[in-house]
Amino acid sequence: MKKISLISFALIISAANAQSPVNAAMFGTMEARALGPGTMSGRITAIDGAVNDEGKTIFIGTAGGGVWKSTNAGASYKPMFDKYCQSIGAVAINQKNPSIVYAGTGESNMRNSVSIGNGLYKTTDGGDNWKKIGLDSTEHISKIVINSENPDIIYVSVPGALWCNSKHRGIYKSSNGGDTWDKIFYIDDQTGCADLLMDPANPNVLFASMWQFRRQPYSFSSGGKTSGLYKSTDAGKTWKEITKGLPAKPFGRIAMALAPIDPKQMFAIVESENTGLYISSDAGETWKSQSAPLNVTARPFYFSTIVVDPKDPKRVYRPSFYFSYSSDGGYSFSEASSDGTWVHSDMHALWINPSNTNVMYVGTDGGLYTSIDKGVTWQFNQGLPVGQFYHVAYDNQEPYNVYGGLQDNGSWMAPSAAPGGIGNGSWSRVGGGDGFWTVPDADGKTVYSEYQGGNVSRVALGTLKSEFIQPQKTAAEKTDKLRWNWNTPIVTGAKNPKNLYIGAQFLYKSTDQGRNWKRISPDLTTDDKKKQKQEDSGGLSEDNTSAENHCTIFTIAESSLDENQIWAGTDDGNLQVSTDGGTVWTNVSANVSKCGIAGQSWVSSIQPSQFDKNTVYATFENHMYGDFKTYLTKSTDMGKTWKRLNSPEFTSFAHKIKEDPENRNLLFLGTEMGLFASIDGGELWFRMKNKMPEYAMVRDIQINPKTHDLIIATHGRGIYILDDIRPISSLTKDILDKDVYLFPTQPLTLNNGKYGWGGTEVQGGWGAGNPPSTPSIDYYLKDRLSSGKAIVEIYDDKGRLVQTMPGTIRKGINKIYWNLRSTPPRVAAGSTKADGAGFTAPMVLPGMYTVKLKIKDKEYSSDIQCVHDAENKDLSLEDRKLVFEKSMLLQTLYNEVNNTIDSITFYQTGLKTDSTAFSKNKNAKTFYDELQKVKGEFMATKKTSIFADEERLREKVSNLYSSVCWKEAKMNTNQLDAIEVLTQDYKTQKDAFSKVVIKNLPKNPQLKKPAGF
Amino acid sequence: MKNINKSLFLGLLLSASSFAAISQTLDEIIAKHTEAVGGKANWNKIKTLKMESVIKAQGAEIHTTTFQVDKKAMRENITLMGMSGFSIITNTEGWEFMPFQGQAKPEAMTADDVKNAQDELNIQDEFMTYAEQGKKIELIGKDDVDGTECFKIKMTDKNGKETTYYIDPSNYYLIKQTNKMKADGKEVENSITYGDYKKVPEGIVYPMSINGGMGEVQIVKLEINPVIEDSVFKLPN
Repeated sequence: MKKISLISFALIISAANAQSPVNAAMFGTMEARALGPGTMSGRITAIDGAVNDEGKTIFIGTAGGGVWKSTNAGASYKPMFDKYCQSIGAVAINQKNPSIVYAGTGESNMRNSVSIGNGLYKTTDGGDNWKKIGLDSTEHISKIVINSENPDIIYVSVPGALWCNSKHRGIYKSSNGGDTWDKIFYIDDQTGCADLLMDPANPNVLFASMWQFRRQPYSFSSGGKTSGLYKSTDAGKTWKEITKGLPAKPFGRIAMALAPIDPKQMFAIVESENTGLYISSDAGETWKSQSAPLNVTARPFYFSTIVVDPKDPKRVYRPSFYFSYSSDGGYSFSEASSDGTWVHSDMHALWINPSNTNVMYVGTDGGLYTSIDKGVTWQFNQGLPVGQFYHVAYDNQEPYNVYGGLQDNGSWMAPSAAPGGIGNGSWSRVGGGDGFWTVPDADGKTVYSEYQGGNVSRVALGTLKSEFIQPQKTAAEKTDKLRWNWNTPIVTGAKNPKNLYIGAQFLYKSTDQGRNWKRISPDLTTDDKKKQKQEDSGGLSEDNTSAENHCTIFTIAESSLDENQIWAGTDDGNLQVSTDGGTVWTNVSANVSKCGIAGQSWVSSIQPSQFDKNTVYATFENHMYGDFKTYLTKSTDMGKTWKRLNSPEFTSFAHKIKEDPENRNLLFLGTEMGLFASIDGGELWFRMKNKMPEYAMVRDIQINPKTHDLIIATHGRGIYILDDIRPISSLTKDILDKDVYLFPTQPLTLNNGKYGWGGTEVQGGWGAGNPPSTPSIDYYLKDRLSSGKAIVEIYDDKGRLVQTMPGTIRKGINKIYWNLRSTPPRVAAGSTKADGAGFTAPMVLPGMYTVKLKIKDKEYSSDIQCVHDAENKDLSLEDRKLVFEKSMLLQTLYNEVNNTIDSITFYQTGLKTDSTAFSKNKNAKTFYDELQKVKGEFMATKKTSIFADEERLREKVSNLYSSVCWKEAKMNTNQLDAIEVLTQDYKTQKDAFSKVVIKNLPKNPQLKKPAGF
Repeated sequence: MKNINKSLFLGLLLSASSFAAISQTLDEIIAKHTEAVGGKANWNKIKTLKMESVIKAQGAEIHTTTFQVDKKAMRENITLMGMSGFSIITNTEGWEFMPFQGQAKPEAMTADDVKNAQDELNIQDEFMTYAEQGKKIELIGKDDVDGTECFKIKMTDKNGKETTYYIDPSNYYLIKQTNKMKADGKEVENSITYGDYKKVPEGIVYPMSINGGMGEVQIVKLEINPVIEDSVFKLPN
């Protein structure tokens, strides 16, 4: 604690002069919509459940979406880790006190796209609050093992850094619940611990699989002499290597399991020259080889889970490429059924409920599945929106659609708004494989979609029929083959949207939707042959899935000011520009290096300025060489000189820089750990929160210039849309200095919003809602209003009060939504049926209105223009005026009905004032009963159940009133007639009431007439 | 060696003093909060409360009247859309009659709900009574609530109900509380935000704006220590 406070104190001092005048807290009312979806999910890396809770409380760790918790066995999930690193390698519950949970950051499925952690976290209140408790530099954590007898003893299995040598790996132990840590087993700076087991019957007995592994941007190696299987019988003090019966070394990654009920029975999948399944019956001392199907031994570096049933030592589960299970102790395996649903391939985690071993959860590359029949069939959990997008694009439709590709989950599209809001059902798939760039064509009918390695197709929306359009090598290209990045850029022109670009080592351009391509560059990469030996990649198991392809173009940008200005950045450090449409290219990477960016860094994004042809921004990232710094640069001379834009706020490596299309000083930066904004052209930055995970992996950012929406692709939390970001740039210094500022309100179009409701909500899944249907009334408060009220009033042009709304009192931007209506009528009491007219008011007419903001005793005002919705062809301005007139007429009628009901109640109350006298007075009783009879004609008085409807005069007037108030079409004659009928009915009933009064009042001299009657 | 010892010593010193600083901070926060809301003596004098309130939503108004006897009972009457309903909570039972939600007669609250609602019967400020109620209290740190970086304090009662309080460091008023509890096999969470703090003649400072998520409840009239008959908390026949 001491260290943390000293460090943060130091940071505060050093950053004091560089703090942005605005920060995310000021824009807290701007909440991003998480579009999800849960339709397809993302990689699940760790699952643990609380045993004492009938398996209802489950923690889920994800590759890029943090930790989620269910307290109802998976019916719903909540994110619990939104303030921290989103890459999770392990979660473990202290079963003796399940409020204590540990989360190890940094996933350990060591694929090319794996993220990086920043330590181990602990909660003591079931996930509401977390503290980092060390292991900050471990980068990847694969497992947390808690001593079942003394839960203060914790072991952490740390594979450690993937991209470089590191001493921070091996096995770490704490004996005090994580307060302090000792590294108890370490081999060398290339060998970490992949898996760790504890004998539940004897917690001093531990098994460790040590693993030598390394990635480079262009190759992967799993295995080496230092990998091995180890056992300790003294709680980790000493370790001995086990070899008896195991294959010849070197080993790669070893997955292990023991049978909890008979811990001598062990299983290991050992990656070696002959990767295989091994079984031990003597607590790991000796092993024998067991034949096994391909799935059991598949891809050991990526599928490292094998689990034995908690109660049945013969029941063995192997979640791998698909799901296998054995009922005979590993002798033979069967595959899960796909009845009901296909289970997404590539599995990484399995939790079996020990108190009901029929129930289990498996984590895959595509989300979480539940089985209630011992893994035979599975059901998909639709409420975990942890999809791992790489990119996002939007089209010109109204509402616009978003498009994007995901890790192992293809390419998808969804509308940004839809009737009833965005749900799982709003999303539709446009391509398969690993999805990356998914780019709509301006024709509104076409999308370009790809899977890994630049396999791009032109897809017809509507039919999803596709045409493979990847450029092919011709005799003109003097090279062995075209090199396509795993995540190959496909880009349409920012200036000329008919230009379609795709990059191998050469840049290609098409002006006919990819039917024909023209190569417009030489090899733009370093063409370093040492980085092109992908066929040797993988280590002990060959693994070359295009993920290691290198010396390729990674990012492309056409200037929005000049279609001949084209930028291309490569994965091996080259940043190239052409100003003549691709005839002559200039490599400016040497100029970039001068501002301290390593020459081999990937060029992750390029943003030619939309305001100045000579200005360009670029991000670089060097994490594949173990360097996680944030590299953002700007040049104002076409790349000749570069300036680093930096901030103490930045965390982790940069993926994307985006300049606002309207405000040149508004910039957004996405990194592996967060979204950042600057309102002064990049000098000062702040972290965006806005109801997004604060350390979200932000891979891509777009801004729709029509709606001013910020569209964010995260690698683990799906797509976010922050609707209308204009308030962010509106907070100028002048306004920040004021105590209160009422912003001008945009014109309000008079309608009931763009969408109807459509009835029942979508069953289950993830829901994102819609953007607000009308612009908000915004005001700024320098400080929270702790005492006194904030009131927002709307006045018409004659100064008459139209409506009053309570204002919010938060510090920063406050947003109030006016429903464009006047004040609803009062509802007289005494009915047995709720009357909705009390919440319904006529929509105002077009014209100028005034908004008055009252803060304590001060008043601020501005004009609001309400405009007729000219797009609605069913309602002319004249029609609207008639609708308004009739809704006001009906409101008057409704008021009269209620006033009469009040009069009846007045007499009835008067008659019963003296209850003793009332019971003896026959005249009073007669009067009362006759009044009650009349009242029963005015409104529902008998109804006792929502299942027995009763409709009287007030209900009839209310229904007609409400339907006219909500009208978005001209009045029809039927409704006009109905108004006449109800007006006449009212007169009839009122006459009946008058007669009752005239007849009975003289006989009840104790009563007085109500005023105005 | 000497240097190491020196820094170790300095470290220990800092560490000891910073722990002291933290626990003192929580005590300090509670003391300042207590003072800010009118002091313990004034609060202790309050035995009953009656509040008339209004909820305003797009021009419509919902009226409520609340009767409260400290730590014993509470009743809320609510009128909307021409109908009236109520809720009653005592130490032993709870009833709800919300005809606008379709209820035809009063419905009993579950035992868990009654147990979890006991805090609501406490008129006293929680920060002045947590110790006598046997609640554990912890300063978690700071957190943003509506743009204000607040002190975040967690209280846990004997039943495991957790309440997190957020206190504005500029005036030590409570801005928000979040309750998390288990009831009938479910985990339930709700939040209440507070505003419009006003000093009343009896010396306490009371939030005249309370929002439990269903709209802002504005207290129009606050009566302190009115006479409240026991019959108020009985179900009507």
